[in-house]
Amino acid sequence: MSGSTAVQPDTPSANDPPKGVPPAPVTSVGRSRRRPRAGSSLTAHGEPMVWLIGGGLAVCALMIVVLIGWIALQGFATFWPKPIVQLETTDGTMLLGEVTRSELFEPRIPPAADGDGVEADVVDAGAAVEEDALLGLATRRLIRIGNREYTGTPFRWVPSAAVETETTPEWAVLAERLEWGPFIGVPTGFRIDGEPVADDAAAAWAAFGEHHDDVVRRQTQRKQLERDDTGEVNYVLEHDRLAVRRAELDVQHAEHSHGRESEAYRQAHARFEQARATHAQTQRWAQAEFNRIRALIDELNAENARYEIVMRTADEREVAIPLGEIVRAYPANQLGFFDKVSVYGSRWWEFLTDDPREANTEGGVFPPIIGTVVMTLLMCFVVVPFGVLAALYLREYARPGPIVSAVRIAVNNLAGVPSIVFGVFGLGFFCYIVGGYIDRGPTDPTTMGPWMGALAVLIAIALVAAATTVVKLRAADQRAFGARLLGYAAVALWLLALGVCAWMFIRVPFFDGFFAARAADGSPTFGKGGVLWASLTLALLTLPVVIVATEEALAAVPSSMREGSYACGASKWQTVRRIVLPRAMPGIMTGMILAMARGAGEVAPLMLVGAVAMAPELPVDGHFPFVHMERSFMHLGFHIYDVGFQSPDSEGARPMVYTTTLLLIAIIATLNLAAFYLRTRLRRRFAESQF
Amino acid sequence: MPQPPNRSITGHRRRRTTGLRVKVGDVAARSLITLGGIGTIVAVSAVFIFLVWVAAPLFTSGRIVDRAEYANPWAAANAALPLHVAVDDHNTLGLAVTPDGRLHLFRVDTGETIEQRDLFPERNLTAASFGDRSGDVVFGFDDGSIQMGMITFETRYLDEADDDGNPLVPDDVLALDVYENLAYDGGVITRTPRNQFRHRTVNVELREPARLDTPSPVRRLSHTEYAGRTMLVSYTDDGRLLLNEVRERRNLMTGEVRIDLADRELPFTLPPGRGAPDHVAMAGLGDNIFVLWNDGRLLRYDLRDRDDPRVVEAIDLVEEEGEQLTAVGFMLGRHSLVTGDSLGRTRVWFRVAEQAAEVADAPETVDRIDGDGVRMVNAHELSGPEHGTAVTALGRSLGSRMLSVGYADGTVRLFQVTADNLVLETDTRHASDPAVARLFMSPRDDGLIAVTDAGVNVFAFDRRYPAATPTSVFLPVWYEDYPAPRHMWQSSSGQAGFEPKFGLFPLIFGTLKATFYSMLFGLPLAVLAAIYTSEFLHKKVRARIKPVIEMMASLPSVVLGFVAALVIAPVIEQVVPATLLAFAVVPLAALLGGFLWQLLPYEWHARLTPWRFPFIVVAVIAAIPIAIFGGPLVERLLFAGNLRAWLNQDAGSGVAGWFILLLPICAIATAIAFSLFVNPALRRAGVEWSRLKVALMDLAKFGVGLVVTVTLSVLLAVVITHVIGWDPRGGDFRVWGMDLSPLQSYEQRNAMIVGFVMGFAIIPIIYTISEDALNAVPDHLRSASMGAGATPWQTAMRLIVPTAMSGLFSAAMIGLGRAAGETMIVLMAAGNTPLMEMNIFNGFRTLAANIAVELPEASMGGTHYRMLFLAALTLFVITFAVNTFAEVVRLRFRKRAYQL
Repeated sequence: MSGSTAVQPDTPSANDPPKGVPPAPVTSVGRSRRRPRAGSSLTAHGEPMVWLIGGGLAVCALMIVVLIGWIALQGFATFWPKPIVQLETTDGTMLLGEVTRSELFEPRIPPAADGDGVEADVVDAGAAVEEDALLGLATRRLIRIGNREYTGTPFRWVPSAAVETETTPEWAVLAERLEWGPFIGVPTGFRIDGEPVADDAAAAWAAFGEHHDDVVRRQTQRKQLERDDTGEVNYVLEHDRLAVRRAELDVQHAEHSHGRESEAYRQAHARFEQARATHAQTQRWAQAEFNRIRALIDELNAENARYEIVMRTADEREVAIPLGEIVRAYPANQLGFFDKVSVYGSRWWEFLTDDPREANTEGGVFPPIIGTVVMTLLMCFVVVPFGVLAALYLREYARPGPIVSAVRIAVNNLAGVPSIVFGVFGLGFFCYIVGGYIDRGPTDPTTMGPWMGALAVLIAIALVAAATTVVKLRAADQRAFGARLLGYAAVALWLLALGVCAWMFIRVPFFDGFFAARAADGSPTFGKGGVLWASLTLALLTLPVVIVATEEALAAVPSSMREGSYACGASKWQTVRRIVLPRAMPGIMTGMILAMARGAGEVAPLMLVGAVAMAPELPVDGHFPFVHMERSFMHLGFHIYDVGFQSPDSEGARPMVYTTTLLLIAIIATLNLAAFYLRTRLRRRFAESQF
Repeated sequence: MPQPPNRSITGHRRRRTTGLRVKVGDVAARSLITLGGIGTIVAVSAVFIFLVWVAAPLFTSGRIVDRAEYANPWAAANAALPLHVAVDDHNTLGLAVTPDGRLHLFRVDTGETIEQRDLFPERNLTAASFGDRSGDVVFGFDDGSIQMGMITFETRYLDEADDDGNPLVPDDVLALDVYENLAYDGGVITRTPRNQFRHRTVNVELREPARLDTPSPVRRLSHTEYAGRTMLVSYTDDGRLLLNEVRERRNLMTGEVRIDLADRELPFTLPPGRGAPDHVAMAGLGDNIFVLWNDGRLLRYDLRDRDDPRVVEAIDLVEEEGEQLTAVGFMLGRHSLVTGDSLGRTRVWFRVAEQAAEVADAPETVDRIDGDGVRMVNAHELSGPEHGTAVTALGRSLGSRMLSVGYADGTVRLFQVTADNLVLETDTRHASDPAVARLFMSPRDDGLIAVTDAGVNVFAFDRRYPAATPTSVFLPVWYEDYPAPRHMWQSSSGQAGFEPKFGLFPLIFGTLKATFYSMLFGLPLAVLAAIYTSEFLHKKVRARIKPVIEMMASLPSVVLGFVAALVIAPVIEQVVPATLLAFAVVPLAALLGGFLWQLLPYEWHARLTPWRFPFIVVAVIAAIPIAIFGGPLVERLLFAGNLRAWLNQDAGSGVAGWFILLLPICAIATAIAFSLFVNPALRRAGVEWSRLKVALMDLAKFGVGLVVTVTLSVLLAVVITHVIGWDPRGGDFRVWGMDLSPLQSYEQRNAMIVGFVMGFAIIPIIYTISEDALNAVPDHLRSASMGAGATPWQTAMRLIVPTAMSGLFSAAMIGLGRAAGETMIVLMAAGNTPLMEMNIFNGFRTLAANIAVELPEASMGGTHYRMLFLAALTLFVITFAVNTFAEVVRLRFRKRAYQL
């Protein structure tokens, strides 16, 4: 076997032996021809270094597997009902709760500070822990004892050494409540109208089972009344109030421009008075309506308040909990497998379809899901056409040259510039400037005269430009000098027209904004973060994804097909539209899906342009125009950040963070897999259609 | 086949030219598509231009928007120049107190006198001291008495008419336009845009006079109110310097308030050859008194020990012989002393710790005095219009660090002192006697009142963004109370009188730190993984593994950030030594695996080679328990049993630190040395050896290499620690305010965690591009190499990697750009303190995270808002440069790869 001296690529860097690598044996060619030498070939294989390189890949692969596995495990395990244990510790405390997790710890290091929220208390086991420790490490468990209003911190770290006795009480019940988080205790009775109807755990539990469904149904009814019906009334009321404010602004405007004595002022004033009267009427109607709804709610509440379950906590406290407060309760230690599955399923259902409660740490993530979906879809409407146009330009229309290089650099930088920079741009430009324009109109309007003049100029330019274009197209020889000159002139004129148009837009004198009334009250409509601005910002961010994918698809369309089309006499646009684009469709879809995946996972720019921790309304609802593009929205990614980092009870928020993360990853992975599938199908299809 | 022209098979007439409709459609489509293509350029440049457009005004200077001149309103009363002038928030009503004890109210825009009041008809005013915004004043009289009081502006809003439509204000007021002023009822009335009438008047509230314990006239007076206590210093004609702490006693029977001045005479003797002090000034916190003479002599009293106030510093503020102090004042908060001299210099002095003062070149003390550990330093020097034009007036801002300075030639300059920024310059228009005698700033920093002997000049100005200048943003700035100029980012604080500090450098440093540590972790892993995937992995496995790693790219960074901060950080905190050990053990385990693999007989080796990767995975996994169990051992061995204590320099010596840092370098050095000297010898000796023997020899060599590496690093570490005396745990390496020591005290959220997770985030992008670059090397090169007898390893290292080097480089650059701009991970896992430490165990704040945290709170259009846009612009420029460079390199590489 010969040494590697035979291969010497003519690159200068190849002459430097890589560092740390034993060089291959330098044997003379003559000798090596005789027989291969086992020893030297071994060094030439560089096996250990190959292993080192492979180690890099192994670490990468392991990291991703461990990470995804960990999140999946935590996310899926969170909702599974855990048994409830009763612990008596060495200092005599009784604890009743779920074991959340256990870990090794070094007794001399204070417990891990998880986030910025409330820390879990540690049960002091004194010197016993040190004795228990092995290699300086001891074990401890995190017990979720719930009952936040009584215990202060709903979690306790219990070192194994501190446990005196451990039992699993048969009737320990975990009740998830609307407020204060879970309650853990043993039922001791059930009351209707304050009268005890059961006095032991089994009877109380039976009574609970009997009444809870009805109570929940009434609770849902109440929620509907509170949210939908009240929301309806509020909507009308707000609508009227804004009408009044608008009329008032009109009055001021009339006074400013025409004076107090003018007809316009009197008319505006009359309208204002009328709006005020209507508003007063609406207010009376709304008050009546509110009273009616209130009465209904009170009725439901009164009915629900009749039922109470009495539970005893670990520290012997008797607590009566109204059934209306309880979302779900189960005797954890009695559940069979199917019961557990049903609790598990109902928790997932709640998670996916319900609103969050308790500062987002409990309940569901329905609003963030809707927010993410609406934002991503809106983004698609913008980014796909724009991206396809750009890709068509690069692949089908552009001739290589400085402009194409510039476009490529632009696309690369759109992909490489940090997302937060787009967020800054979105906030400054879309929200404050464009949004402000929509709300209040131009900040510096011109007067009517110059504007009308500009309009005339615009019409003139546009006519001349159109005429030039047509004349140019009718020229017999498109490549003649005159025709080309005409072409440039047409382009210049069209650009000029565009410029005039922009100027007229910026300085328009008679546009005072669509939402001046609200802006005057200090509550901007479009002039703040909203789902429209978020999707526009993300469209900018995901543009390169669509461009690259579409380009790839366009490149995969065989040029023979284009040539065939031209040969049949089709024009360029006809070819593109009827031959190229349909074949590139799967690629465009791929790009769209990849852009959606990217957009759904992006958080940093959204923090600036409209994602909020708690949005009062969904961006879609039943009022015209159904999709409210100006509204702030909740977003799954931002939800993770908010719940994980801004929540007051970080330990309690953990399950929510894990499940939301799992959901987000699942959505993104599904989108990616769809794109992957489409891409493979596209490749296969074109592999067949090559001719 | 012959066919008649113009007839097609269908029998329709065939058109010979393209229809206009098709042509227009074609042109329209072309224009639209071209617009779409150019649109990407427009989008990128729009982002850039917009960022510049918002950030650029930061560096524009202020401008005068309006000015007015009129004769002195107090001239009518034959009064001398006023002691004090104040205007209200909207610059409509002005008040002036003249030395004859009169209060003059005037309209600021016209100078029209509204009212004159003699405040002290029975006594002669000899001294006065005026507080800041609150309007508190103290007057001193020739009978040794003082009187405290408040002179404040009051605002009332009047309605046009009552509910029944009866007018509440006279007709001339009703006739006012929006923002028009009128003198009315002892004040000024203005119509607001909301159609109300804002009426401003002045309220004077003087308390009972109190007497000092001397009947001598009060010559100098200064006071401060701090933490609810009023402190007063006065110099009386009989040469005494009196310190009073004002106490109020309420008589329970009569409800009368009596002011009690607890007098204390300060040790003071007139220095020889000097008259009465020209200025006596009390610092804002009541802890210092400055006594100044116009020749520059300053005595500073320390009052912190109430029972023993004493002179702690005596210095000369004007070094030049014969030159004079011509104006003395304070900055906002009365902490920094400002002096103007006859040479036209305006100097700002504050106290810093003595050691720092020596560095900062503080003036020589005149007499050796037992000091209080701090000294006055001249932190800022603001120059006049030309050398030698004396400073004649100083006017401090009531809300910021701005200072207006008036000069003898009538020039008025407005400075932002901290940033040494000349905000604007103007001059008075009284040619006969231009010298600015008094200078006052309006409460909102939008107006200046310059008083000369001849009249009053009122300037309304737009100050723009004085706190930011190109130098103050990127270079160290000397903030009040800091011992030296330094880089700082601190945009807000709970304290009142806080000065925002806008130095971008700590954020840029944080960005670089984050990038450095994540590249340190991510780059080798990604490149190694790419090389292995492209050159050694079986094709089928490659098709599986590649998408898995690319999946990493689609993991939202918020997920990574959450995992980093809430899962990894708390766990790593418990096992830091094990983590450190893992960085050594994992590569060693892989290497060892390779050496053991060599021991396999040739047939096995050949058969198992396709299955090599799973074995590598096993080797790597096997290393993890070793690291975990070895962790405590390492801690005991290297870090005196307690890593935290060791890092805080409470235990152990720096040897272990140097050992860790030198280990990789020594390992590389050893490997090179072995390949240069040991391998050739071994090869010569082992020509006739069997395969097994060579493999065993290799293993032994590996062992020896390890021992040599460890010994070498220990030796070097000992030398550096004990002979040179450097400690890697902080303090020894400071450059430009950065502390470059890499091992210091441990924070839970730190650069190691970020490096780890952000490395994880950039691996897929570097990996994908590197792998593509390696794959783009044409296969015929591989075949040729193999055909010539090279092993895959030799082919990869000597042919493929060098050929693809520029592609790998461009991958690294793109990864770098990604790391520099990543937001969520650093936001969640980096602790977000703008420190400038290279410490791997401490946090930092990056440009991106800073924007995400602060922009939602920054008010639109303000300095802070624009500074954040500047931060975004910086980030944009950095990543744009890196990306464009990478793209150019990549295109070069591509061209070359195609040529091969």
